[in-house]
Amino acid sequence: MNDLWIETGSISMNKHGETLCGDKVELAGGGDEDLTLVLADGLGSGVKANILSTLTSKILCTMISGGIPLEECVSTIASTLPVCSVRKVAYSTFTIIRILDNKTARIIQFDNPATIVLRKGELFDYPRVTRVISGKTIWESTFPIELDDVFIAMSDGAEYAGVGDLMNFGWTRDSIADYAMANYLPENSAKFTAGLIIDECDRLYGGSPGDDTTVAVVRVRGRHPVNLVVGPPEHKEDDVRMMNLFFGKEGTKIVCGGTTSNVVSRYLGQPIVASLDYHDPDVPPISRIKGVDLTTEGVITLSKVLTYAEDFLDQAKLAPAWSTQKDGASLIARELFENATDVNFFVGRAINPAHQNPNLPITFGIKQQLITSLADCLKKMGKHVRLSYF
Amino acid sequence: MKITICIGSSCHLKGSRQIVEELQRLVAEKGLKDKIELAGKFCMGNCQNGVCVTVDEEPFSLRPEDTKSFFENDVLPRLK
Repeated sequence: MNDLWIETGSISMNKHGETLCGDKVELAGGGDEDLTLVLADGLGSGVKANILSTLTSKILCTMISGGIPLEECVSTIASTLPVCSVRKVAYSTFTIIRILDNKTARIIQFDNPATIVLRKGELFDYPRVTRVISGKTIWESTFPIELDDVFIAMSDGAEYAGVGDLMNFGWTRDSIADYAMANYLPENSAKFTAGLIIDECDRLYGGSPGDDTTVAVVRVRGRHPVNLVVGPPEHKEDDVRMMNLFFGKEGTKIVCGGTTSNVVSRYLGQPIVASLDYHDPDVPPISRIKGVDLTTEGVITLSKVLTYAEDFLDQAKLAPAWSTQKDGASLIARELFENATDVNFFVGRAINPAHQNPNLPITFGIKQQLITSLADCLKKMGKHVRLSYF
Repeated sequence: MKITICIGSSCHLKGSRQIVEELQRLVAEKGLKDKIELAGKFCMGNCQNGVCVTVDEEPFSLRPEDTKSFFENDVLPRLK
């Protein structure tokens, strides 16, 4: 196994006036395991399309990741999908991206716009062979992956953006590829790249999309561990043991909490230099300790990070805030959501007597619950998360 | 003179930001930027009282609404 890490991110935008999306992305694996990503686009829009794409993506993802041959998967779909009473056909297009052994990419495509692959930021023209299965012409490609490869799969709603309105023929695959290349940075996360393209589609549609539009991105990146310590140990004599383990880890070091910072400062023999810059009025200012990448206040800052994490997994409406702001919570969010592949939490169980005051507006008893919730969110983002208690 | 304000969790919730902003305003208004240095500190270990503030090494416990009288009665006389 090599040091590569497979990250995915997708965003769907519903056709104007529809509450259900007719596109569906289904995932299995990822990270350092084999990945199977299926993007299905059901015929039509609304509830029918939603059922078609949900069935297609779920069946394909489960069967393909289980190692069933493609022929069998496609014929299962053909015989399972309900036939549309208006159009007399059962139909859903699909794109399947698989990454195997962190070495090989396999792309299987049926009638969706061809997946764009960027290699070192440039358009990569990958080989394709065609095969006819159950009367459907399917493209297959197999090639070795490299660090920083970006795969962009999309439903045809992306190509139709702007048709007849801003442009004669809409936004073609070539212009989407140009746009992706122009905005490429090696550090852009999969979700960020998907968001860039979706935002541009939304703009071209004038804010009212004429079709369901989905972009799913697979990114091949290096591993980046982040270690976060919060709270002093329950027993003071464990301070040094906790610090030894924390500073012994490879990767970024984040220290959260006033008392915790004091423990770190004593351990490293370095002073804490506090600032008074309130970049966000709700979040206490950050401090600096030589030898630590980021030092922040504890529970208030982490509550804000949890808010950002829950939003990121949902609509990502707060992402513009944390991806640019300089307060402690935004800095932690960027490091955990965008940069980290592996997150190690070092959680101290000491009880701060001041936090037991019932007059305070938040209950500090929730500290451990806060960390558990944040860890769950990070797992949902596809990261390896480890919690150690002291 | 150095005035240090605690910006740890408890003190933050009890209003250290308002105190910091009020002190910054008062210091600027009186033209005392050369004489008074304002600094932050993470948790002074006296969370039950708080907001914890020290003037040089001497500890005080403030509420945001007391900031102005603290500045006039405890800070200005020490400058002389």
